Amino acid sequence: MLFQIKNLEYSLNKKLILKNLDFILKESNHLLIIGPSGSGKTTLINLMAGLLKPTNGQIIFEDKEYNLLPEEQIDNIRLNNFGFIFQKLYLINHLTVEQNIQLAMQKSDKNFIDVLLHNLNLKEHKKKIASELSFGEAQRVAIARGVANKPKVIFADEPTSALDDKNVENVINLIFAQANHNKSTLIVSTHDSRIQKFFKNILKVSL
Amino acid sequence: MNDLSLIIYSLKSRLMNSILSVLLTAFGVSIALLILQFENHVKDRITFDGKGIDIVVGAKGSPLQLILSSVYHIDIPNGNIPFKSVETLMKHPQIETSIPIALGDNWRGHRIVGTTKNYITHYKGEINSGRTWKRNFEIISGSNVNLELGDEIIGSHGLFEGGDEHETEKYKVVGKLKPTGTVIDRLLLTPIDSVLKIHGLDDINIKSHKHDDDHNEHEHNSEHKNPNIHKHELNNQNLEKINTSEYTKKSNQQPHEDDIHDDDHDHDHHDNDGKKEKTQKKESSAKITALLLITNTPIANANLPRLINSQSNLQAANPAIEIARLTSVLGLGSKSFRILSTILIGISILSIFSGLASNLENRSTDLAILRAIGYSKNRIFKIISIEGMLIVVSGITLGIILAISIFALLIQNITPLKISQAAFNFNYDILLVIVSVILIGFVASIFPALRASKISVAKQLAKNT
Repeated sequence: MLFQIKNLEYSLNKKLILKNLDFILKESNHLLIIGPSGSGKTTLINLMAGLLKPTNGQIIFEDKEYNLLPEEQIDNIRLNNFGFIFQKLYLINHLTVEQNIQLAMQKSDKNFIDVLLHNLNLKEHKKKIASELSFGEAQRVAIARGVANKPKVIFADEPTSALDDKNVENVINLIFAQANHNKSTLIVSTHDSRIQKFFKNILKVSL
Repeated sequence: MNDLSLIIYSLKSRLMNSILSVLLTAFGVSIALLILQFENHVKDRITFDGKGIDIVVGAKGSPLQLILSSVYHIDIPNGNIPFKSVETLMKHPQIETSIPIALGDNWRGHRIVGTTKNYITHYKGEINSGRTWKRNFEIISGSNVNLELGDEIIGSHGLFEGGDEHETEKYKVVGKLKPTGTVIDRLLLTPIDSVLKIHGLDDINIKSHKHDDDHNEHEHNSEHKNPNIHKHELNNQNLEKINTSEYTKKSNQQPHEDDIHDDDHDHDHHDNDGKKEKTQKKESSAKITALLLITNTPIANANLPRLINSQSNLQAANPAIEIARLTSVLGLGSKSFRILSTILIGISILSIFSGLASNLENRSTDLAILRAIGYSKNRIFKIISIEGMLIVVSGITLGIILAISIFALLIQNITPLKISQAAFNFNYDILLVIVSVILIGFVASIFPALRASKISVAKQLAKNT
């Protein structure tokens, strides 16, 4: 069992955002969290990644309950087990493509980076500064960074929302390919119904 | 990618800001270090060079100039005084030791000091190699003078490099002193008569003075073989008319010290009515630059200068008083520089603080991403504080290099520093400045670092959606 969510609640400024959420997620069982803006999708991802603390309930990752762990240990879980792909990409602009990818790696593995760059068609951009990349190139670098530490879980927050139909398919295929290659479980949050067809396991959240 | 690379790339991404902070720190540190170097140098020279000299007797003029020229050897003497005028003073019961010195020449900037062996004894000089002088024109070299035993040198007029050479007489190095940490390390010492002879003056007969140990070795006027020798003038200044008076005589009975000395040794002087009166041929033309006195009672340090100054045409100065006056003036300047350096260091620290803090606004998303991918709060804190500390350490390093370079440049171009062979010393004070700047820099770095480490990833990323 990868994740066990029990009676999860989260409120911000006395406003209840998530209520009584219970589910179990097994390895390689890719999950799509879908719902309209403001429904708490990103909050749920942040809670599962240990970036937020729940108001009530439990989040258990591989038998480790977040509530019982010190912050440093949750940081370590993230560093060793999770990868992130954001809608806004958030590359560090003054670093090169290679350096942005290295950031997510515990130990730099030049060969693995080369394979990754080759698979994502970024090899010739390896030494390019992130700010000089096109949006498409930057998106592929963000995916590369998300999978660079061969994570058990890849969290992708609205990865396709700003893309046209053709690119939605390309990006989602790329993410799936990398996730399957590394035997990672994909957890995607989106309001973009175009990617629903790629998932069997769907969690709908509403306002 | 290791954290140090991340820090360096971050600093490079805001290069101008980083350079400005490093330069400001460097300027502040270098000024602070230079001030300390000068202060310590002056303090050391005052402590060691003036050690134990209670009174200096010389020509009328600036008492400070008299002290600086005769004790510290960094200024030009006021003039010369007839040796005869201080003979009685040398026998004064309150005087423990009296050391006459005659200046006028140098070798490559090192002063040739005509004196007695008491001078070497006073500064606890010991022969390292060779022997002490036995006759005129033999030289004992201070430990910092680049001369070897047996070297023959020609003295040049004046007390600084570049004067005409005394080609008729050569000095021979017969001894070299061990380092003493005092003024004699950079001097060339010779019997006082050598200096007098080379300037065409009579020898000093100081047989009667218990302090002198050279009296058997004196050569006399009759030994002047070269008539040109009399053309020389002591200290490059107009020689004075010989004053045959003793120090106890009233000053209005003294001849003018500024009158030009006759080369043919036709010694004239004025009487009260201004009439010229031929002196007896036996009258000595021997002159000295100054007489250094060590008293045997502290009361004499106060009383004797007053007595000498009021009752003779000589000037007596107390080194302790003059140097205290000098340091109070220097202290004012040094205080201003201290304030300037503190302000500069303050500005540099503020610039480091503002550089890190303002940059934090732009970098908060980057830092949130690092936190999201697993960088701990501690790691973020370390990254930001090391960034600040790198600027501080680079600034300190550059500041030390700047201070050493500027100090070396000043030594070459400021004569008193060159003469006193000032050297950059790493001491406790420098360590104190460095540690203080590091501590202040650390404090300036940890506040932005703390803020950075407390960034809420979810909130920060939510801001950008």
